[in-house]
Amino acid sequence: MTTFEKVANILVDAKDCEADKIKMESTWAELELDSLDTVELVMNLEDEFSISLEMNEDMKTVGDVVKAIDAALE
Amino acid sequence: MIKTPICEILGIEYPIFQGGMAWIADADLAAAVSNAGGLGIISAMNADGEWLRKEIRKAKSLTDKPFGVNIMLMSPHVEEVSKLVAEEKVAVVVTGAGNPSKYMKDWIKAGIKVIPVVPSTGIAKLVARNGAVAVIAEGGESGGHVGEITTMSLVPQVCDAVDIPVLAAGGIADGRGIAASFMLGAVGVQLGTRFLVAKECNVHQNYKNKILKAKDIDTMTTGKRLGHPVRALKTPFSREFLKMEYNSNVSDAELEAYGAGSLYAAAILGDEKKGSFMSGQIAAMVKKEQTAAEIIKEIFEDAEKVLRGGTKWVK
Ligand SMILES: Cc1cc2nc3c(=O)[nH]c(=O)nc-3n(C[C@H](O)[C@H](O)[C@H](O)COP(=O)(O)O)c2cc1C
Repeated sequence: MTTFEKVANILVDAKDCEADKIKMESTWAELELDSLDTVELVMNLEDEFSISLEMNEDMKTVGDVVKAIDAALE
Repeated sequence: MIKTPICEILGIEYPIFQGGMAWIADADLAAAVSNAGGLGIISAMNADGEWLRKEIRKAKSLTDKPFGVNIMLMSPHVEEVSKLVAEEKVAVVVTGAGNPSKYMKDWIKAGIKVIPVVPSTGIAKLVARNGAVAVIAEGGESGGHVGEITTMSLVPQVCDAVDIPVLAAGGIADGRGIAASFMLGAVGVQLGTRFLVAKECNVHQNYKNKILKAKDIDTMTTGKRLGHPVRALKTPFSREFLKMEYNSNVSDAELEAYGAGSLYAAAILGDEKKGSFMSGQIAAMVKKEQTAAEIIKEIFEDAEKVLRGGTKWVK
């Protein structure tokens, strides 16, 4: 599974997002996630990938998070 | 006597904070609460550094006890005031309305104890990891900006989520509320609405009178559409705001503009038409003006009685 697929699975599982709406370029706003949702999402991702992630204002899309995870895994 | 770990961590006598209240919680109120053995908190709200520095220095001149500063993360001056509290080495910073992670490192380096208000377990875990010494789990019963989850539901969940001490806020006004908070796992409380009518509180008398008169059903929340709901007394202003919120011809910008300055109008001018009289659901239980010391002494004496009687149903 690619990082994107794993992230998408978590979004579907934990946040009830619709799978076919999740794209690399989807923003949190498009997925209807607020700031509390994104903080929780980062926590879930850290557990899933066993990494530590710093959520910041530049991370606006699913793709931004995927890139940050890949960087942390290297 | 009631002593919990938060007393020791902060060097305070009673495990109670007076919550930051924009335009209301100034040096006079904070110092009175700290002198009474609680933790007084100055609200930095949307003010600039100059104002805050004056208030901090004034509080230092009024009390030798520790006090805190409440930093609103939505404030346009957040960068400036965040540097200033480090320079002034205030004992405690309490944050509201957002995720304080970005600023926490500098505060902790300056020796400040950081205690964020958290509306969810996710934020609680995040700030615990970033070095918070405690968190305040604030339920939607509170006055001011509110989250969705109630105190009853939020406090035990936050207690389960983090290993640091948890304070409960929202809907607490007497000894029963304190005792209940302890039963949910909290080791301290933060009160806003009850301290609003403290004798040392400089808010406009009209505001105090409205709180003293309020009944259980007299608060409402507005502003959901803008993403930051606020709980306030039902007044001409808040009723009109709600109408505009449900009117799709009114733009978000118009709605923001209508709300701008409304807490100032209430707290400083006492304007009963244009003011937003933010208040918690507990306002009806706030019945008289007392000094901060009288409030704290009374509610902790009550809490002790309630807690001692806590086993009466255990057969
Ligand atoms: C008028 C008013 C203004 C407030 N302003 C702030 C604020 O600027 N920053 C903040 O973090 N909390 C603010 N609060 C929340 C309080 O600090 C406190 O957590 C809350 O009032 C607790 O609930 P209670 O009112 O039921 O006691 C405000 C509350 C009130 C009533």
